[in-house]
Amino acid sequence: MPLTPDDQVVDILENDETYGRRIRGSRLPEPRALYNRWEKQNWAIADVDVVRDRGQWMNLRTFARKELLAALDELEVGEVFVSRTLSTLVCHVPSDADRLFLSTQVADEARHAQFFQDYLHLAAGMETTTSERGAQDEESAYAQLFEPRLRASIESVAERGGDRQAWHAAVVEYHLVTEGVLAAAALHLTRQLAHRLGLVALDEGLTNVIRDESRHLTYGLVATRAAVEGGLREEMAQVYIDSTRAAGQVVVNPYTRAMTPALKPALAQRGALIRAQWQQTKERALRQLRLIGLHDFVDATSEQWDRGCREALAKYEEVWGAPHPSTAKAA
Amino acid sequence: MTQAPTSHEATAARVRDVVATLVPGGPREVCSTDELVSDLGFDSLAMLELALALEVEFDLQAIPEDQAVSMITVGDIEALIAALVVEPPAEGQATSGS
Repeated sequence: MPLTPDDQVVDILENDETYGRRIRGSRLPEPRALYNRWEKQNWAIADVDVVRDRGQWMNLRTFARKELLAALDELEVGEVFVSRTLSTLVCHVPSDADRLFLSTQVADEARHAQFFQDYLHLAAGMETTTSERGAQDEESAYAQLFEPRLRASIESVAERGGDRQAWHAAVVEYHLVTEGVLAAAALHLTRQLAHRLGLVALDEGLTNVIRDESRHLTYGLVATRAAVEGGLREEMAQVYIDSTRAAGQVVVNPYTRAMTPALKPALAQRGALIRAQWQQTKERALRQLRLIGLHDFVDATSEQWDRGCREALAKYEEVWGAPHPSTAKAA
Repeated sequence: MTQAPTSHEATAARVRDVVATLVPGGPREVCSTDELVSDLGFDSLAMLELALALEVEFDLQAIPEDQAVSMITVGDIEALIAALVVEPPAEGQATSGS
């Protein structure tokens, strides 16, 4: 049975392998359909009951705990930032249908921020989160490497009274790159880890978050496709390409020391795993281009992603005096 | 006369203890011929946890360039760690009882 447009909303993030085949050439849902989906897919943090994971969390081994905390921290910082700034986009939307949908996204992002904060407090036992400490500028790759450009885009929307190009540029950076590339990759990996480690509340909560983000991404794809078809093709391509370079830097995360095993076999395996994860994230960025009618810019985007990663890897070695473990390969 | 265990044997035993506690399905006895993946169920996450635990247990530091890259069996890990931490006997020192 072919997927309905509503199923495709969820499918975009859930099934990477079939993503391209199922979505290509299809009509993406309009904002009203996404709003309807939001009503049906509402969920409550209280129902997830994050405290269920407390016992299992205490039994986690060092590496797993460290990886999970780092991932949850980044997700929390991203969600808090989005929840603080999305309203500017809402104020300058092109239509009422867009406003109604984006208003649901504001509610979703608030819920996500709260979910991650509750989880970090009540399950992981953290006294404060990175955002609560105001430490994101020192501790978050996203805050250091991507947030300044997004903040500038949002401010531009406000300063230019909702200028169409500025608004769409912000949507590209918000919905397509921040949510569609960076957050989606982090959410999927974190959910896989949660599942592997038996953290049922985290697994459930992340499934809900991913479903919400899928609607947000779809909205971004719809809006950007409209901009591309409505005379802003080159402008949207340029924003996307530039943002992808920054996204490549974020995934490398040069200012945080990566776990580097002292045993060569483990180091080689770690290197291979990291490279595979980055490749998957890059492919997600390239797939989105095809959905918004910017097939011609795949090579340029790929090149900029690679450039962003190279720059960040060089910065990592400069900061830490050692190559990033992603460069390790089996002999 | 019973021979005292060599440093190599003692190190190998410690390695097996560490591996045994980290087997994904739950702690169990392991032997040198056990394969980490196919016999003991180690996935990539568990392998990294094992590497970290071994670093702590044996205070491992920099990676020598000639360090072996294969880590298929428990015995491979024993050999790898022994090469890093066991000192060869000093010249002229007996290596076995007479």
